[in-house]
Amino acid sequence: MAAPHKQGEVVEKILFLAHVDESCNVLPKAVYEVLGLAIDVAAQMNATLTIGLIGENVDTAAAFIGSSGATRVLAVSGPDFAQPRYASDAAALEAICRAVQPTLVLAPATWRFSRVLPGVSHRLAGQADTHITGLEIRDGALTASRWYYRQRIEAVIRRDARPWFLLLESGCHKPWTGEPGAPSMEKMPVVIPAELRRTNVTGTRAPKSEAQTIRPDADLLFVAGAGWTKKQSDGKVHGEEAESLILRFLELSKASLGGSKSLVDQSGDNQAVLGFMTHLNQVGQTGATPRHPKGLSTCCHGEEPHVVGWRFIHERRAINLDPNCGWARGKADVLYVSDAFEVMKRVNELLATGSEKKEEATATAR
Amino acid sequence: MRNGYHIVVCGSIVPDPLQTLEPIETPGGPALKNEMMLPAVLDPWASHALYEAANLASKVAGSKVWLVSVAPKAKLQQVMMTVAQKVSFELVAVDGPASGFGDAYGVAAILADEVQSIAGLDRSRLLVFGGWESASRGAGVTMQLVGERLGIADQFQGVDQITTQADGSFEVLERIEGGRHQVSMCSGPPALLGWATGNLPEPRNNPQVGMANMRTVMPALQRAKAAALAGSGLRFLSTTPPKQQRQTRIVKNRPVEEIAQEIVEWIGK
Amino acid sequence: MSAPPTSTEVSRSEMVVDIACVGFGPAMGGFLTTLSREIMNPEGTPQLESIVSPGLPLQVMCYERADALGFGVSGAVTRARGIRQSFPGLDAAAIPMAARVKSEKLVYLLDPIGASNRSVALRLADKLIRTFSWTLPVRHHALELPYIPWFMQKHDGLILGLGQFNQWVGEQLMGSGTVQIWPGTPVAAPLVENETVVGVRLADQGTDLQGNPDAGFLPGMDVHAALTVIGDGPVGVVGRQLDQEFGLPDGHNQREYALGMKMVIELSEESGLEAGTVFHTIGFPEPEIFGFLYVHPDRLASVGIFIPSWFKSPVRTGYRYLQHFLLHPYLWRHLQGGTLKSWGAKSLQESGRHGEPFLAGNGYARIGEGSGSTNVLAGSGVDEAWTTGVQLAEAVIELLEQRRPFTRENLQEMYVRRRRESLIGEEARIAGDSRNGFASGVVTGMLGMALAGFTKGRFSLSRDFQPLPKATSELEERYCDRIPRHELREIAQQCAEAGISAHDCIMDRCGWPRIPLDGKLLISHQDALLMGGGVQAPAGYANHIVFLHPELCHKCNPKLCVEMCSGQALTRGDDEVPAFDREKCVFCGACLWNCRQSVDGEHGNIEFRAGAGGLHSTLN
Repeated sequence: MAAPHKQGEVVEKILFLAHVDESCNVLPKAVYEVLGLAIDVAAQMNATLTIGLIGENVDTAAAFIGSSGATRVLAVSGPDFAQPRYASDAAALEAICRAVQPTLVLAPATWRFSRVLPGVSHRLAGQADTHITGLEIRDGALTASRWYYRQRIEAVIRRDARPWFLLLESGCHKPWTGEPGAPSMEKMPVVIPAELRRTNVTGTRAPKSEAQTIRPDADLLFVAGAGWTKKQSDGKVHGEEAESLILRFLELSKASLGGSKSLVDQSGDNQAVLGFMTHLNQVGQTGATPRHPKGLSTCCHGEEPHVVGWRFIHERRAINLDPNCGWARGKADVLYVSDAFEVMKRVNELLATGSEKKEEATATAR
Repeated sequence: MRNGYHIVVCGSIVPDPLQTLEPIETPGGPALKNEMMLPAVLDPWASHALYEAANLASKVAGSKVWLVSVAPKAKLQQVMMTVAQKVSFELVAVDGPASGFGDAYGVAAILADEVQSIAGLDRSRLLVFGGWESASRGAGVTMQLVGERLGIADQFQGVDQITTQADGSFEVLERIEGGRHQVSMCSGPPALLGWATGNLPEPRNNPQVGMANMRTVMPALQRAKAAALAGSGLRFLSTTPPKQQRQTRIVKNRPVEEIAQEIVEWIGK
Repeated sequence: MSAPPTSTEVSRSEMVVDIACVGFGPAMGGFLTTLSREIMNPEGTPQLESIVSPGLPLQVMCYERADALGFGVSGAVTRARGIRQSFPGLDAAAIPMAARVKSEKLVYLLDPIGASNRSVALRLADKLIRTFSWTLPVRHHALELPYIPWFMQKHDGLILGLGQFNQWVGEQLMGSGTVQIWPGTPVAAPLVENETVVGVRLADQGTDLQGNPDAGFLPGMDVHAALTVIGDGPVGVVGRQLDQEFGLPDGHNQREYALGMKMVIELSEESGLEAGTVFHTIGFPEPEIFGFLYVHPDRLASVGIFIPSWFKSPVRTGYRYLQHFLLHPYLWRHLQGGTLKSWGAKSLQESGRHGEPFLAGNGYARIGEGSGSTNVLAGSGVDEAWTTGVQLAEAVIELLEQRRPFTRENLQEMYVRRRRESLIGEEARIAGDSRNGFASGVVTGMLGMALAGFTKGRFSLSRDFQPLPKATSELEERYCDRIPRHELREIAQQCAEAGISAHDCIMDRCGWPRIPLDGKLLISHQDALLMGGGVQAPAGYANHIVFLHPELCHKCNPKLCVEMCSGQALTRGDDEVPAFDREKCVFCGACLWNCRQSVDGEHGNIEFRAGAGGLHSTLN
């Protein structure tokens, strides 16, 4: 955060919005990060801070942020707000916003809020900006950073009109770590009429195996490229071997699994050589831009559209047979020019030996 | 659905993803260098939405698909020559900017107006499709605004699948945290779906489909009226390409054993 | 009916149109621009009525392989006489990257390194030039020739980015709504019945790499047409199949090609080059390699070289030569500090009238470069190609108005005669034998050009071009005076074992310095491939490069196709048959005329079939 608030500027009224997760007891991690940022911004701009909460039962969650120093805490709760549904979420958030009349609305870019807040901004005659990666106060006014063209151009933006809704990406601030407290919470009654109940959220569906998805909490992202499904040095495709090597690696390393577009496209073309890859795994321009401390790319050429999905991978290494591939052009920290089948086979053996040793040590210690 | 769906897909063009993009400042705000010279494609998310729309229309008799697009006419025309070979649709074209730096609020206003002015559109059969993000603006805002302007309260974003029932109701899978899908049942149109990638492959180019589409695409392009984006006060203080060059260490001619050791050590750090 | 190389035992959808066109380049631009203006009356009724769908306007379809109009084609300087006739009052500023030619120089580049393969005569000439440099216009290791022969001049012409020009033409055409141009649609073959071309077959989709039906198989449609117009260029699939079907006219052969490889460079602020500047160069990096530099507006320049088929070296990778060309002091003073924006390569048909196929037959006509329209004396192809398209369109309009069918006789009378009697026909006649001398070397070739040019084609040298499979020397023959034979054999062997092209090793050994890569302009070959658009290879299409008799490849070393491949898409395969990586193929077609193995003695062992994708760059 930069320059402090200038005297004489319009005083902002900040509304921080959060929702509880499905357990009704916990707030998503991103909520604490954006709360930390909201408190920081409020302090620097001499702004008031109000918290708005939605969920089936918000009492437990509200207590976690009870000492955040917010002037008010408003909540809309009840069975109608248990599941993320656009119509009811929009009604609840609209009610909170109308009650608070904020100039700035800060919220974490969770799937639930990303779905609904832009619509709420329209109802409040405001504007929303999404994918915000950071806020800064310049000359007394708030500016926001975000990417355009899928992580290819970074822009610093500002809006004069209010209310301004900002959906913030995770990693934008260090999480707020205050003590739990007992906030005085104002519960707002919001009635959801029949026409807003036309959609029923019936639950969630997880992919067949945990190993098969992008796992945001993993330290390592493992990305498979189309090279795994191509003819190898013996002129044959080794699909099954590729599958077992990758799944074994994920099992041993607990890495998150990503894929290049050309690989996941094969699943759509019904020529899936790696049966467990779907578009949910896709990293890159038209896929995900996950955040992990480390990323290991295998059999992937490292072309620009794919690598834009690596923008938030801190340390990057790649295994590729082509020393001239895109990774070599300043996109990876290390490029191993080698056969990924051979390397990953040995990596798996080493990891397996390592974990056996760990288990033995644990057993001995007991 | 007895009479089929009326599916309106909102989608525009973006630079071909293989191009190198460079921002420049113009009197009208930031833009891409050589923007009009860059080859363009239909936005990947909008493309998926279009393929899903066509797929749904092919399954439910009596359905019809429109594509509403705001883009520079000449560029749109080029892109349509490829897109129109893939699936059947009727084009509604608006000659306007397709820049990622354009304001989503202005785009949504134009789109909503165009949807409303489609002749013969039946709201009780209406599904509005689009990408939940775009490769240019990546906003995840535009579709919700279109929905709000059209008064559609059943909205879904990050959609990967729609499964329709005979009574017009449908099940939607939306992407949520942890690589999972949220499952919803909606009692029927009108609804708005912002698509993620779905699971359909890109349809093959089919010249017969192209021929049929051209009967409406060309007149639509000729009719396309020019529209300026209304701003909503979005100001750009700076636009910069990322500093992405790393000093890549290239490890060549090293035994597999050593490489594997090094990787395992790095993972464990 | 001839059997196109696609799966035939499937039911194919069919479509009937009036005119089916293959390939969208300058020739087709000229054809469709002229034709489209006559299809509709101003009040919206058909002026040219469809034969196949009476009552409707003429149904015209054009199919182009590339994913968008103008992807990956070259830059050019042209006199633009025909283009200007089609667009009276044309403002160059309306076409992106176009500039009017303001200054033009012909420059002889000396070899500042001493590594190029120069004959004794040339070395002597170089020495004389350097000795008299105090009185000659010699600067930066180059002699600026005081005069450009009239037949080579492009004064007042246009510098074009052909990709942008094609796009611009395509926009005008599609805006008219009278013709349809379908990019991303490769044509597999002509449909021939009873010596009549009755249309074209589009490429199968949803196949494996060998062309067998696979998931989502969609057999290519048969498009039947009263007239098929072929403008698919010098290595076009349909044009070449017609040549096989009908042969070439007596005495004609296609034994001269060149590979044009170029970069589009964003010049630095200090480059000192003005838009409209043109350099034609000779002499470096090898005497046989010609070069060019054209300056577009907005500080963009096209810089490139031509490697002719009569350059006898069997190791002749264009990319490294192009980099040495950039580094020549005469050019580098302008290019230093520039940034590579795009790169590309293309084959040029340089046989001129000697390579001309039958220009028309029953149901078909040929236009553009593949029809031998390039003026090989002037080194000019774009405007000539455009003009042949215009001429065919004029003929077609007249035939349609007179309700006469597209028979060989009618097309001969209306199109071929028109072409022969026109200015470009006359110029083609003058140019016909102008390059004969190059069969004996570059100096003889230049003298032959001068002789034919200054005598307006009355005198020329005799012609003795070898069939292409025999056009190159053996490695040892070419380099024995510079590298001991045993060492050459070792280099060839080592490179073969390492699976790499021998070209780099040979150049290193001949004293060419390594390229000082700077990450901006001087970058690796693969980086260039990724820049400015990259190559796309959509799944579901068969490989378009096929080795007809793989056993012939076994004994081939060095493998000319691998040495010459512009995108390093062909590499030495493990089983001695080159491996093909379509994700690197830029469709330059060089492999087609760079194969030293032959069954019939005239053609190589490589077939270049219909393929999809290719380079995605319009900054070209």
